[in-house]
Amino acid sequence: MVEANKEIKEGIWSWVKFLRKGIGYFAFALHRLTGIVILFYLYLHYTVLSNLLRGQASYNAIVRSITYGPYDSFLVLDFLLALVIFYHGANGVRLALNEFGIGLNHNKALFYTFEIIAMILLGIFDYYALQFVGVGF
Amino acid sequence: MVEEYEFEIKRKDESGKVYYQTYRVPKDQISTVLEGLLYIKENIDHTLDFRYSCRMEICGSCGMEINGKPRTACSTIVKQLKKDHVKIEPLKHYRVIKDLVVDMDPFFEKYKEVKPYIIRNDDGVYDRELKQTPEQFYEYANYSMCIKCGLCMAACPIVGSDPQYLGPAPLAAAWRFIADNRDEGAKYRVAVIDGEEGTSRCHFSGECTEVCPKGVDPSFAIQKLRKVSFKIELASLFGRS
Repeated sequence: MVEANKEIKEGIWSWVKFLRKGIGYFAFALHRLTGIVILFYLYLHYTVLSNLLRGQASYNAIVRSITYGPYDSFLVLDFLLALVIFYHGANGVRLALNEFGIGLNHNKALFYTFEIIAMILLGIFDYYALQFVGVGF
Repeated sequence: MVEEYEFEIKRKDESGKVYYQTYRVPKDQISTVLEGLLYIKENIDHTLDFRYSCRMEICGSCGMEINGKPRTACSTIVKQLKKDHVKIEPLKHYRVIKDLVVDMDPFFEKYKEVKPYIIRNDDGVYDRELKQTPEQFYEYANYSMCIKCGLCMAACPIVGSDPQYLGPAPLAAAWRFIADNRDEGAKYRVAVIDGEEGTSRCHFSGECTEVCPKGVDPSFAIQKLRKVSFKIELASLFGRS
């Protein structure tokens, strides 16, 4: 393997230079960003769940402390999380298909199609989530 | 009064000092960015250095970052940039030697690694030509258009974060020969391209395809290579070459 010249390394900043880039770059950059958000949430989720080890009272106390107000005040964050997961999931399916050589000639169309489907699913999710917490329409 | 373009050029002198210098170029004297650079070199500042040769998008020498995007200077019409201010910088992800001249050696070293030539299992002595149908030709024709300008390497965000990644142009070259029906060297190339710094590093941002002046589609080639690599690796597990 060729010895790389470290002087030219841009680092992860090369992942977030959106100026004059195509839609594929946006898909790529957002995939990385949403991946980091999901990873962060995963560990946050584990941290909250780990309170179960200290017993029911401890777990209930922490859940009560982060859910107050008329509805679950974390609901907005939950919706944002759902947006991130649906985006990442849809783009991930597209990338998996691409790696099998499917849809390579219509890659941009495939991206838009999957994201539209993801946003419709997100809308359905949000509707049932609001129903679940008692917000009527 | 003569209308002028403003060329803002990133320069690097022998001592390593980096700075921007602005030149004014009459609009009626030039058409392309390369002509603008030549006008500056001949009439304003002969110390400005840049690389060029054919002036017709064949040699791939004049790659540079023009208004934030990797382009070949010879085929970039200034008027089409729709700005009178043209910002020119050396290609990213390459070591700058001087002004707009970058060190292309690491790029060509990577290129050589994928064995960009026909490999045959026989002795290579024939009494007639190797036949190829038009369909077989069109399998790789797009990839043989590559002029090795290296713009795709400057556009790729992964090359930016991991300089050891083989990169779009070498991988597209690998596909160009693997897709050629006369070639029998896929297994040798897969040993290189299926490694940690090969196709698995690509995350499909597609910028290589966006910037290619010749319409080559390296991102497509990389996905095809993954499929071929998978087949060859799978076959090798069952003792088939």
